[in-house]
Amino acid sequence: MDQLRGQELKQAFSAATDCLEEYRDTVNALNVFPVPDGDTGTNMLLTMRAAVKSVAEGCPDGQDHSADSVCSALAQGAFFGARGNSGVILSQFFKGFSDALNGVECLTAQDLALAFKLASAGAYKSVGKPVEGTMLTVIRMASEAIQGPDKDVLSLWETAYHASREALERTPQQLPVLAEAGVVDAGGLGIVILIGGALRSISGPDSPMLVDLSQLSLLQGGVNRTANPIMPGFLEASLEQNWGYCTEFIISSANGKVLNLELVRGHYLETALSTVVVGDERNVRVHIHVKDTAPALSYAESLGVVSEIKIENMDSQNQQFAPNGHGSRVKGPALALLPVAQGEGLAHLFRDSGCAGVIEGGQTMNPSVQQILDAARDTGAHDVIVLPNNSNIVLTAEQAAAAEPSIHVVPAKSLPQGVAALLAFNPEAPWQENVDAMTAVLSEIVSVEVTAAVRDVELNGVAITVGQYIGLLDGQLVTAQDTSEWALRSTLELAGLNSDAIVTIYYGAGRSGSDVRQLSSELEGEFPGIQVDLIEGGQLHHQYLASVE
Amino acid sequence: MTVRIVTDSSADLPADLVQQHGITVLPCYVVVDDRTFKDGLEIQPDDFYRRLQADGGFPTTAQPTVADFQEVYRDLSGKGYQVLSIHVSGKLSGTLNSAGQAKESLDGAEIELIDSQLASIPLGLAVLDAAIMASEGGSLQEVAEKVRQRLHMHHGLFALDTLEYLHKGGRIGKARAFMGSVLHVKPILRLQDGEAHPVERPRNRERAMRRLVELASELAPVLRLAVVHSTDPNRMATLKQDLTGLLPADQIIEARFGATLGTYIGPDALGVAITQEPR
Repeated sequence: MDQLRGQELKQAFSAATDCLEEYRDTVNALNVFPVPDGDTGTNMLLTMRAAVKSVAEGCPDGQDHSADSVCSALAQGAFFGARGNSGVILSQFFKGFSDALNGVECLTAQDLALAFKLASAGAYKSVGKPVEGTMLTVIRMASEAIQGPDKDVLSLWETAYHASREALERTPQQLPVLAEAGVVDAGGLGIVILIGGALRSISGPDSPMLVDLSQLSLLQGGVNRTANPIMPGFLEASLEQNWGYCTEFIISSANGKVLNLELVRGHYLETALSTVVVGDERNVRVHIHVKDTAPALSYAESLGVVSEIKIENMDSQNQQFAPNGHGSRVKGPALALLPVAQGEGLAHLFRDSGCAGVIEGGQTMNPSVQQILDAARDTGAHDVIVLPNNSNIVLTAEQAAAAEPSIHVVPAKSLPQGVAALLAFNPEAPWQENVDAMTAVLSEIVSVEVTAAVRDVELNGVAITVGQYIGLLDGQLVTAQDTSEWALRSTLELAGLNSDAIVTIYYGAGRSGSDVRQLSSELEGEFPGIQVDLIEGGQLHHQYLASVE
Repeated sequence: MTVRIVTDSSADLPADLVQQHGITVLPCYVVVDDRTFKDGLEIQPDDFYRRLQADGGFPTTAQPTVADFQEVYRDLSGKGYQVLSIHVSGKLSGTLNSAGQAKESLDGAEIELIDSQLASIPLGLAVLDAAIMASEGGSLQEVAEKVRQRLHMHHGLFALDTLEYLHKGGRIGKARAFMGSVLHVKPILRLQDGEAHPVERPRNRERAMRRLVELASELAPVLRLAVVHSTDPNRMATLKQDLTGLLPADQIIEARFGATLGTYIGPDALGVAITQEPR
C-alpha cells in the first residue's frame, strides 16, 4: 500500500475509537492507585469521540477529503474535547500529527513517519515534566521505530504497533510505581489500542495481517512484582510538584538579532514549569511558572527587548460597563472565579463565597476543555480564574487557558487547595495579582483525602485490602483503615496538628453529621487549641476531604 | 476669629477627647425596638448591643436633622466662632446633606463642610487632627484646606464577626464580595474612597486580629493610633498590646463603636484607626 486517502484515515480513526471503547474498562482497571483515580480509559475515549465527531462534521461522508483536512478536524475536535491528563496529551499528539500533514492530499509512508515524529514531540511538550514509563514513552518508541528508510504505509503502521506494544510491556521497568502495583501504564495501553485499532481498519478484513488485540488484556498479569523504591504515581509526576509565579512576557528581537524559538523554549522547559513558548523570529511570547522570576526575565533580556511583563490591564471598576454604540450594555463582573466541584454542598460553598459559577466535575468525571470554555463564557466576565480542584483536571484547565486568553488557572490540585485559593481571592485586584496570591497559598495548606480502595494492593509500603478506606496526605497514600473515620483521623494525625491549626472537614454524600461531630470533638480533645470546622460537602467519591492550615 | 470643629456621633470619639478639644458632636438617631434614641446621649453602647443581640429585628439609623445642625451652627456663630463641620462619608450617610441645608439657611454664618470619606474612629482621628490644626490658628479657609489635604493620612481597618449587619443595614457596598456564611470567615474591611472595601477573609478571630496588626503595621510611621471594639474590651486590649510596636500604649486611643456604627458593624467587631506621620 503506497498511500492512504482521507476517507481511509477517517475510517481508521473511527475504528480506533471503537476499539478503545471495547477496552475502556481494561484501561480503567490499570489505574495506578487502588482508587478510581485516573479514569484514563474513559478520558481517552471521550477525547477520541470528540475528535471523531469533529471529523464527521468537518469531512462528511460521500465526498473526497484530503488527509490534511481529516487530521486537522481530528486535532481540533481532540483539543476542545480533551479530558484529563491523558486526553490533553492525546490532543497534543494529534495536533503534531496534523501539523505534519499540512497540504498533504494522500498520506505516504514518508508523511506517516513525520506525522508520528511531530505527534511525539507535541505529546512531550504538553506536559511540564515528561515522565518515562508512561504513554509518552509508548508514543515516542512507536515514532522512533518508523523513522528511517521509507517502506509502505501499512508495514510502517504495523511496525509502530509492535514497537508500541514492546514499549508498553517495559513501562513497569521505567516507572517503579507501576511495578509495585503490578500493572503496565494505563495511558500507554490506550495508545497501543488506538494504533492497533487503526491498523486493523487499514489492513482491511481480507488482509492476512491479523491484529489480535485480545491478548492485550493479558498484559496486566504478565508483570513481575518487585520491591523498588516508591516514586510518585505518573499522574502526579507528569504534573508539577512545586508551583511558583505565573509569568508572561514577550521577547522582541532587537538590533537585527533573530530569535531562536526552539532555543528559548528549550531554556524555559529546562528552567521553568508549565512552559508555553510561541512565536517567530521576531516576537516570542513566553508563559512560564517559576519560583523566582528574576533569572527567567534576565535570560529574556539577554535575547532582546522584553515587554508586556505580567499584563495588568484589567481595572476592576472600569470593566463593568462597555459601550457598544447603542448605550451601555451591562456585562458580568470584570473578574470571576470559576471552580470545578462535585456535590451540592461544595457547589453551594463556592457560590455562597462569591464564585460566578461552578463547573460540575471532579473525581472520575473530569470536565472537557470545551465545558470549561463554555462555563467561562457563561460568567460574562472579562477575565476568569479557573480552580480545577483536582490533580487530573489541572492540565485540561490549562489547555482551556491556552485556547482562550481571558481564562487563567490557579492550579489547585485538591478541593481543600481550591478553598484556600478562594479565600485569597480579592475581587478588586487585577487577575494577575490574584493568580499570584492564590497560587502562593496553595502550598500553605495540607490536603487530606479519604476514599475507598477498589483493589488489593501494596503501595507506599501500605498493604491495602478491597473495601478498606485509604487516606492520602497531599496526594500521597499514607494509611489504610477499616472505617473512613479512622482513615481520616490517622491521616490528620500524620498531617501534624499544631495548637493553632484550623481543620476543615468536608464530609461526603452518605456520611452523617453526627459521626463527624463525634470525630471532631475527639480531635479537639486530643489536640487542644485546634479549631475544627465541619462542612457538608456532598461529594461522591471521597468519604472525607479535609484541610489543615 | 477662632475656628470650632463640629462632627457627628458616627465619629465614635471618646468623651474626654471631645471635651479636651472643644469639639461639638451632633448625635445621630438610632431606632431600635420602635423607639428613637439620640446616639450616645439617650442610648449607651452596652444597652444598644444588648438590644441588638436580643432582638430579632434590626435597628435603623437616621442622620441629625437640618434643625439640629441649624441650632448648633447658630449657637456657635452667635458666639463669634467660625465652624468647620467634618462628617461621615457621603457614600455611607446623608448627614452632610442635613449640614449643607442648614448652612444654606443661615446667612452670615461662616461654615465650611468637609466630607471626610471616613466613618467611626478613623473619622474621629480626622476630627481630632482638624481640632489641633484649628488650635494652631489661621483662617477658616486655611484650616479647611489643611484638613482636606491631610484626609488621605487617615486610615481605618475593621475585622468583623459577620457581614450580616452591614448587609441588612444596606451598607454592604463593595464588601458584598465577601458575603457567604458556609466558611465562617471573619472579613477584614478597609475604608477607602469613602466606603468599605473587602481586604481579606481570615478563617478565625485570632488570625483576623493578627492580620489587623500586620496590615496596620504596613501604615507605619504612625502619628496617631486608635483601637475600637463593639462588645469585647478584652480582645481590644490584646489588639492594643499587639500594636505597641507602632506607638506606646499610653498614646493609643481606646474607642468604642457607638449605636450608629454598631447597627452596621455588629457585635464582636474590632478596628484600628491610624493617622500616618506626614511625609
